[in-house]
Amino acid sequence: MDYSWNFDIISRSWDLLLLGLANSVYLTAASFVLGLPLGLALALARLSRRKALSGLAGWYVDFFRATPSLVQLYWFYFALPQILNVQIEPGTAALLTLTLLSSAFVAEIFRGGIASLDKGQWDGARAIGMSYAQAMRRVILPQAIKRMIPIFLERAIELFKTSTIASVISFPELLFAAQDLAARSYRSLEVYSVVALIFMVTLISLSQITRRLELRLARSGETTTS
Amino acid sequence: MQYALQLAGVLAIGALETVKIAVMALAISLPVGLIVGAGRYSRTRYFRWPAAAFVETFRNIPVLVSIMWFFFAFPMLVPFEISAYAAAVLALSLNTSAFFAEIFRAGIQSISPGQWDGARALGMSYRDQMRRIILPQAIRRMVPAFTNRWIELCKLTALASTISYQELMYTTKMIANAYYNPVEMYSVCGLIYLAIIYPMVRATYRLERRAAKETA
Repeated sequence: MDYSWNFDIISRSWDLLLLGLANSVYLTAASFVLGLPLGLALALARLSRRKALSGLAGWYVDFFRATPSLVQLYWFYFALPQILNVQIEPGTAALLTLTLLSSAFVAEIFRGGIASLDKGQWDGARAIGMSYAQAMRRVILPQAIKRMIPIFLERAIELFKTSTIASVISFPELLFAAQDLAARSYRSLEVYSVVALIFMVTLISLSQITRRLELRLARSGETTTS
Repeated sequence: MQYALQLAGVLAIGALETVKIAVMALAISLPVGLIVGAGRYSRTRYFRWPAAAFVETFRNIPVLVSIMWFFFAFPMLVPFEISAYAAAVLALSLNTSAFFAEIFRAGIQSISPGQWDGARALGMSYRDQMRRIILPQAIRRMVPAFTNRWIELCKLTALASTISYQELMYTTKMIANAYYNPVEMYSVCGLIYLAIIYPMVRATYRLERRAAKETA
């Protein structure tokens, strides 16, 4: 093997990679946060006794589970602007896609978390005269959310990986920055290796934080691991 | 009408390529995942550490990044060409193997120690305990997790379009660009994926319910 490694391009352009990483983090965080209330609304709709409402929410979740996120992204970037007759920026299309995708997954976590609580919690809340909304807000959700935190973080990590698809519509996140650098410098081996390493280190750190949090929650009596 | 038929034919070829990548990656990931998973459960650290490194590496690098790496970076290290198909299958297989290994490990760990003790009390060797007592029970529990990962794999195949492999996503993009009909093409493409993957999602729900009933 006679390839001679040369990391000059990395040391000269690390600021571009850092900006890319910042954009990746922004895209993930923003779509995850926006997906939370949407996901909760979907979960409540799915748990609703009205068949039409829960059916519709179920379809929404299944749709996002059963189609590749890349198709969704292309649809929002290329098809939606034609239907609405407006311009959609790459950043907006990516944010929209990832938010809706995230809400579908978050909805399932909320639903599982709410359903996992003992029925006695509902009965108790009702017995002291709370309405459905009050019981949900004051008794059920606070307990359910604590159990769900580690699963939410796992989902956020998955979302971070999925956010790399934004590169295909030229949103300047980390992978796009890498493609740009590699094309300009002809140093694809160095650039892609370093970027893969950055992703790996970032995601492993996030998983470690999640694991530690999980252990602490388990110790405080809110078991998420069995 | 003839135009619609021609489009359907081209899309069908694309869909076939999508299935081809997914099945190929699955065929590689199952044995690799099982071996790595068993390695993570090994008592010798010379198996355990490399297996852990493999899992952490390929689980934490986004698939699109490793597709790019195998297609644009890897060829500089090796004296042979890497086709888009090979790069996509390689990246998808390594990612899926890492997840399979974790499922496999968790499945074995979920079996109560009493099962091991019981098998040993009957005089079985480690291999027999694993093959006759632990694995048959563990694999039953792992089925829903495996099918979930298989669904993920099917969806991830669309990423092969980014290195111009002519599967369903790429074919759709080419047609949409040539005929300026993104609304129709991307909608139809989504529906084709839905038609392939949705039945599997339903099947997984059924498997999960059955598994929940068994452990309850």
